[in-house]
Amino acid sequence: MILADEPLDTLKKRIGERIHLRGIDTMRKILEAQYLCKTFNGKAVLKEISFQVKEGEVFGLLGPNGAGKTTMIRIILDILKPDSGVVHLFERQIDEKTKELIGYLPEERGLYPKITVFRCLKYFAELKGLKDPKNRIDFWLEKIGLLGHKNRKVGELSKGMQQEIQFVVSILHDPDFIILDEPFVGLDPINTKVIKDILLELKSKGKTVVLSTHQMDQVEKMCDRILMINKGKSVLYGDLENIKAKYGRSIKVEFKGELKRIKGVKKMSNYGKYAELTLSEEIDPQVVLKALTTQVKIRKFEISAPSLNEIFVDVAQR
Amino acid sequence: MNKAFIVAKHEFLTTVGSKGFILVCIVFPLLIAVPALLFTGSIRSMVTKTPDAIGFVDQTNSLQESKGFIKFPQEEQAKETLLQNEIKFFFVVSSDYYDTGKVFFYSKDDPFSSVSTESVKEFIIENLLREFNLDERVKERIRNPMKQEEFELDRRGEIEKKKSGISSFFPYLLAVVLIMGMLTPSGYMVQGIAAEKENKSVEILVSSISSNQLLTGKILGLGSAAMLQVTIWLVLGITFMFLTPLGPVLQQMELPGLLWMVVPYFILGCLLFAASMACVGTFAGSVREAQQSIQVFSLLAVLPLLFLSSISQSPNSIIARVLTYIPYTCPVTTMMRLSLTEVPLFEIIVSILILLISVIVMIRLSARIFRIEILMYGKKANLRNILRYLKG
Repeated sequence: MILADEPLDTLKKRIGERIHLRGIDTMRKILEAQYLCKTFNGKAVLKEISFQVKEGEVFGLLGPNGAGKTTMIRIILDILKPDSGVVHLFERQIDEKTKELIGYLPEERGLYPKITVFRCLKYFAELKGLKDPKNRIDFWLEKIGLLGHKNRKVGELSKGMQQEIQFVVSILHDPDFIILDEPFVGLDPINTKVIKDILLELKSKGKTVVLSTHQMDQVEKMCDRILMINKGKSVLYGDLENIKAKYGRSIKVEFKGELKRIKGVKKMSNYGKYAELTLSEEIDPQVVLKALTTQVKIRKFEISAPSLNEIFVDVAQR
Repeated sequence: MNKAFIVAKHEFLTTVGSKGFILVCIVFPLLIAVPALLFTGSIRSMVTKTPDAIGFVDQTNSLQESKGFIKFPQEEQAKETLLQNEIKFFFVVSSDYYDTGKVFFYSKDDPFSSVSTESVKEFIIENLLREFNLDERVKERIRNPMKQEEFELDRRGEIEKKKSGISSFFPYLLAVVLIMGMLTPSGYMVQGIAAEKENKSVEILVSSISSNQLLTGKILGLGSAAMLQVTIWLVLGITFMFLTPLGPVLQQMELPGLLWMVVPYFILGCLLFAASMACVGTFAGSVREAQQSIQVFSLLAVLPLLFLSSISQSPNSIIARVLTYIPYTCPVTTMMRLSLTEVPLFEIIVSILILLISVIVMIRLSARIFRIEILMYGKKANLRNILRYLKG
């Protein structure tokens, strides 16, 4: 629990229910999807997708536009029904009770512009089963620096502020499982940091987060495991470090000059002053370094695993 | 608390707290009351002090002054007093009055100025009666020759009491109030759903509660707001009416004994139209599209008014009975009939049952279609797809 304002009897009841839901396994599967298929107008949007999300992890759901991520999220939330396959949340099928344990930030944001921030948050909190959410609303508004805007109409706030309010909607009821669809879109670096810090705090409290985003740097920094889907198929799934290791070595180089093709480099992403080079297995990085010095003036040279961005682009273009 | 009640509370508070609601609640009765008050001169009497006294010049020299009537020897003096605003108006009883009955009225050129001939008539009659030594009962009959009661024979020759003046206007008034009241939540409903679809908040809502609970809550909340609105209209409307000279006339109006039946018909009518409009709002792509679609259902509500003269003349005719059994026309038709005649009890029970079943079916159907619309994200809902999903 992040807040201690919940009445003791309610708290006990909730904890009791969770214990009942979770059983005694310490590595609980919060979410398990098996062989999910979904077709729209004859076009397969999801093709036999299976994955698990474990308690307390930040799980990245990745894929290019139109890959089927949002459809997947809507199936998890029981907004859409799959054509075949099953989803288990907290080791059972989703129902009205389990919905109260989920926090959801949809990609297409939706708040009521004509009512006050407080009323809007109170309404969504009550729908999630919170009886007296006033203290929690004040707590979270203070945390994101918007307590002073509590009595203003939602429509009067800036787009970034509305996005933060929408984020609070998804966590206000202290859910155990949080799905965030593109949470950082439209936020400035300061607000991005605020949201990121809150997410890490939630993770440290044992909450499970599914993060669907195109911002690979955030996924790389925050996610423990990922699922990448492309054209409705699961193309990458598992521990992020293992996936990166499988993709071989990579060289990150900052330079001045004109970079040309180098022998032994499978793929080169050149940004003008920075480049990422994926090496073939047999090539020695020292040979590449030598070749680079003949072409450009090197400012920084780093041998590492390929970035998730490189892997994403590589997989999406296949 | 059931989540449908949370939605109902939210919808009610959001609606009654909106500027539009307050505007409609206050402005609408004013639109009716202000012209009525202007027309009857009541505003003038409320805002300025108008004299009560009436002047007269008697060229027959037979009328005597009495309370509220001031006698002037010449017209010139009466005119001067009128211009000084000391009398309301004056009249001149012509010298050949006993032969011709001519009386000339003079008032100021003022839109609020009016002459009340009825009080002058009473004044002249009292003066004329003084000249004859008549029995007091005869005098009373000269003052009020008759107290009228009219009866009508129906086709079977049975006698029914005919509604008098203002009472015969009652069914029309009732129908208009009912139609406006029933369509009010529908308007809010269709706009609310379309707006939620437009601003995407519906996705959070359906991830928290079932579409059945969501729609039931919306219908209850918006229906309650509509009932509050109609109650405010009625209270304000009746208050304003009693400020006009129509007040005493309204007091004499004969209200039908089953007027309380308006409550169940109104509630069920509100729910039926609101549930139907939920479908419209679900299909509409935007608030503007939704508003255009309302007109179709508005026509259904207004349909009984097209048969008003037929229903008024024959409240138990086939047309009236058929309209009583059609859910969308039932509330207005039945209340119009009830205000005109006695409607058989079984017809009332059957019509309420039909209405109740229609409301339940429509709420469930709307919730299902609402869910289907969500299932078909990003696609235009067409009839073929909806029928396919409904069957499934």
